[in-house]
Amino acid sequence: MARIAGVNIPANKRVLISLRYIFGIGPSNAKVICESLKIPEDRRVNQLTDEEIMKIREVVDRDYRVEGDLRREEAMNKKRLMDMACYRGLRHRKGLPVRGQRTHTNARTRKGKAVAIAGKKKVTK
Amino acid sequence: MARSIWKGPFVDGYLLGKADAARESKRSEIIKIWSRRSTILPQFVGLTFGVYNGKKFIPVQVSENMVGHKFGEFSPTRTFTGHSSDKKAKRG
Repeated sequence: MARIAGVNIPANKRVLISLRYIFGIGPSNAKVICESLKIPEDRRVNQLTDEEIMKIREVVDRDYRVEGDLRREEAMNKKRLMDMACYRGLRHRKGLPVRGQRTHTNARTRKGKAVAIAGKKKVTK
Repeated sequence: MARSIWKGPFVDGYLLGKADAARESKRSEIIKIWSRRSTILPQFVGLTFGVYNGKKFIPVQVSENMVGHKFGEFSPTRTFTGHSSDKKAKRG
């Protein structure tokens, strides 16, 4: 087990995969980190030396905005839009798609799980 | 796709004149505009615009962090009053 960037404790998976458990590091960032530190792809986290872990920690802390900081930044951006009362802010406030997607159907990620309309019954023969 | 930087921000030219005129004269006067497509420039900060939404002029007080957005973003064109309650429920 290794702690990188605060609370994250990736398991005994490949480094490339484990790094993605950190909020703010996805497939491409994980790949860049591994390549820059010359960690082979099939190396697992529990096979890393302490030195390598230190290096990873250093790179993540220095070059990437992760976890709390990233979440805070995101929330700030949303808040800015909402306080301005611009169209995008209004969409955020209502929990609807922000970028012009259709809402007649779909948009379930933003709207949450479908709720049945009370009293609406299918016509039965 | 985002607009090319070399073009600079798009603003309908007559807005610049209108804004200047409003600056010169006394404050707190709503400048009616139809140009929803124009970018909000730094020199518009502090002024109040009435942005047309197809029906009414929505007053928009331009603040600093609105710079770079378009006027139309602050003047919604659609009204959603919510779904009507179910017909059956009403009847019963």
